[in-house]
Amino acid sequence: MSVPREQHGLRMFGTLALAVGLTQLPWSGWALWLRPDFLAVAVLFWVLHRPDRMGFGTAFCLGLLADFQDGTVFGQHAVAYVVAVYGVLFLRLRLLQFDPLRQAAQMFPVFLVVQLTVLLVGWLAVQPPNGLTILLPVLTSTLLWLGLAGWQRAWRGKGMRGAE
Amino acid sequence: MAVPGQLTFARRLGPTARLAAWLAIGIVCVVLDVRYQAMEGLRSGLATALQPLRIALRAPGDVAGDLVGFFTRHRLLQQERDALLDERESLRMTANTARDLKKENDELRALLALPARPGQQQVRAGLLYQGQNWFGQKIMLDRGASAGLRTGLPVVDASGLLGQLTRVYPGTSEVTLITSPGQLTPVMVERTGQRGLVAGVGHGQLELRYMPAQTDVRVGDRLVTSGIDRVYPAALPVARVIRVSRPQAGPYLRVDGLPLAGLERSRAARVLVAQPVAATPPLKPAAGAQPAATQLAGPQP
Repeated sequence: MSVPREQHGLRMFGTLALAVGLTQLPWSGWALWLRPDFLAVAVLFWVLHRPDRMGFGTAFCLGLLADFQDGTVFGQHAVAYVVAVYGVLFLRLRLLQFDPLRQAAQMFPVFLVVQLTVLLVGWLAVQPPNGLTILLPVLTSTLLWLGLAGWQRAWRGKGMRGAE
Repeated sequence: MAVPGQLTFARRLGPTARLAAWLAIGIVCVVLDVRYQAMEGLRSGLATALQPLRIALRAPGDVAGDLVGFFTRHRLLQQERDALLDERESLRMTANTARDLKKENDELRALLALPARPGQQQVRAGLLYQGQNWFGQKIMLDRGASAGLRTGLPVVDASGLLGQLTRVYPGTSEVTLITSPGQLTPVMVERTGQRGLVAGVGHGQLELRYMPAQTDVRVGDRLVTSGIDRVYPAALPVARVIRVSRPQAGPYLRVDGLPLAGLERSRAARVLVAQPVAATPPLKPAAGAQPAATQLAGPQP
């Protein structure tokens, strides 16, 4: 933290530009499948170490850039990066105490969530399955829960907490 | 307050609220892009803005390539030259035959009073990079609208059809590969002339759809573009049939194919810029064939 503020900004910009550039290299075949999401790694690194400089807004814009690069629907990576930033902010204090191995292990689910979010948003955007009726069970499940909770309360008087 | 690292009386929005806000903006982006195609301006802006960065990043690779090329051994070059000369001889013979056939074809077309096919103009383009996307395989080329490209044009390499331009920016363009899911290509079986539709299924494979069960399709058949769609010129090689099976349910054959073009390997591509059919004056060979046709047709009535 002894590094001046401008230098930090420069370094941050440099790594982000490097991440964008690495993605632009002509990857193909196996290398393309194995290519890490450089931009996500860079964004999450700076969220972890400089949460005051790197936040939701920057992550969102860089996500749009990633969408442009992969020729995907605008918003796919943006949404995924925003979710990942939230995850890292949530885990931040714990992550900072970990050694590199544990830190990487803790980041695995975050990167998994990034990829799954990209997949989910793309799937919903490109091939909306039957006009999103697939989301109706969410509503009906909630209503069922309401009924269940009401019934349980009526049965036991004050609910589980009171019964313990 | 439950989130560690957050001040109890912070004046800014909490992470959860900000997450929700950005998620909402993200969903708006997706809807704008998918439903209203409103983000194309942003795309072409990004393409222009990223062009210098792209050139700068490719410079070391290009220089290294030049150096390696410079130090390539003399003997290798000689061998290559001999092979190329040999190939040129054989190609020249093929070209002679082709010219003869084209002339004959033009005369026959004139006889039948069929319109001449529009000539093809080619734009060479290099592969910039390949996008990674679950919903379609795409590659980026280093030529764009400034080289006269527009969306919908077919892209080929030396061995066959690669795909179709789906987005064109000022200096770059995006190709949807024929193996991309949902990408349809009208083809015909070269051996029989049977027409059909090839659809990409991903994983670098293609599927010939809606072939009735009694159709004559065999493993090893070449599929070429049929040319009836006004997008692809006729007889571009598309795929080779690798598997033909008859599913228990359904009246259609299941025909799988592999693309002939090097979708994963090609580093250079050509975009076929067809001259607009309506605006072109009659092509030279056709004009030359016209008198011959009238001459031939003259004594008939």
